[in-house]
Amino acid sequence: MVEDIRTSNLWRSPAHPDVRRVVWASVVPPLAFFLLAVLLTFFAGTAPGSRLVPLTVAGCLASAVAAGLVTVRLSRQLREVARQRDAFYQEFARLSKLASLGEASCSIAHDLNNPLAIMNEEAGWLQDLLHGAESDTTATRREFEASVEQVQIQIGRCREIARRMLTWTRDPGEPPGQVDINTLLTKTLYLVETELVATGVRVVKHLDGTVPLVQGNAAELRQVLLHLMKNALDAMKGVGGTLTITTAEAGDGVRVSVSDTGPGIAPELLGRIFEPFFTTKAEEQGTGLGLTISTWIVQRSGGRIDVENAPGRGCVFHVTLPAAKLGVSRTSAGGPHESGKTTAGR
Amino acid sequence: MRVVRLLLVDDEARFVETLSKRLTARGYEVEGALGGPQALELLAARPFDVVLLDVWMPGIDGLEVLKAIRRLHPGVKVVLVSGNASINAAVEGMRLGAIDYLLKPVEIDDVLAKVEEAFEKKIIEEADAAR
Repeated sequence: MVEDIRTSNLWRSPAHPDVRRVVWASVVPPLAFFLLAVLLTFFAGTAPGSRLVPLTVAGCLASAVAAGLVTVRLSRQLREVARQRDAFYQEFARLSKLASLGEASCSIAHDLNNPLAIMNEEAGWLQDLLHGAESDTTATRREFEASVEQVQIQIGRCREIARRMLTWTRDPGEPPGQVDINTLLTKTLYLVETELVATGVRVVKHLDGTVPLVQGNAAELRQVLLHLMKNALDAMKGVGGTLTITTAEAGDGVRVSVSDTGPGIAPELLGRIFEPFFTTKAEEQGTGLGLTISTWIVQRSGGRIDVENAPGRGCVFHVTLPAAKLGVSRTSAGGPHESGKTTAGR
Repeated sequence: MRVVRLLLVDDEARFVETLSKRLTARGYEVEGALGGPQALELLAARPFDVVLLDVWMPGIDGLEVLKAIRRLHPGVKVVLVSGNASINAAVEGMRLGAIDYLLKPVEIDDVLAKVEEAFEKKIIEEADAAR
């Protein structure tokens, strides 16, 4: 289905107009001064013994010092901008984790209320039997036993829901920085189960059990996977389809692919989907930051996100993550990665 | 006085079973269905007064079942039962013609009250139609 492939790269995203203005304002005056100095030197050089020579040498030195100072100041400002951006993304990632817990609470309530409703009926039925006239017969005794057994079964269901909720808020098992991506995918699928049922979307899993552990933070990577799954489900809303989740070894890492059979992305919008605040959803449904944050999280782990688009047939998001470095137990903070390239398709 | 004929629709088999026993013990005539298609089959086969319908069952939309019941059996009264704390489905259900809604877990007294209310409405409508 390869029609058009794009790779996100935050570090290469177009500079904000304010940043561009600062750069111009800081670079142009010293540059002009320097050129003037060069010209003066040239003319002074043609007039031997001129008093302009020491003056132009001094001018050159002054402009070099000024340019140096400007560069230092500029790089400090740029570092500050990058720091603020990282802090913002970090905070947004944290908030969107809380928000998806809020969304999940709706399906958790439903999941809990079903076994509770059954236990409620069983307790009521036991009460009915106790107040009945024939509470001592063998038949009634059998009813008692069946009801108590049901209560135990339903408690088991509740316990399973509680266990799932706990794995949502904290992820025991792997040391930080080493994530079993197949398990994470399966757990993340639980969280969209309600949407899957509501949208009538079929799930196909092709999980390669031999892939290595990947580098990254489990809670953050789950946000990425959850976001990609929700996007895929949104694309198939109202029409149904198939959500395909695939893991495979890719180089010395793992490639996770989330594919839908929705309408795909309009070719003229494809280049913009990784841009901050770009969204095709209604205002109250999308912030336009999901893919931006996902890219940020994945790039920080040393990975990348690519999208493969086939208008009319759906699209696939590939998340490529490096294998965890064994013995290294901390998530690498990661600087700019040059792995991203935009490969426009046919 | 006529016996109220109830249809209980829920994908949770044990919920249907036990609530049916409790309602039968209280003098109602109760049938259970584990999904929308089975409910519509039963409704086509014999008359019912009130349907207790779960709005959130896997694979099917309870509201679609509600629409089908309203279209095919307009005289039958529907009370929605939901395990979901969100009331959006309930509001939408009322708009589509449900009498009322109950949140799971349900109290038997609430169920009885809603069923009686729905049944009374049906009797009054039938009397009006006969006049």
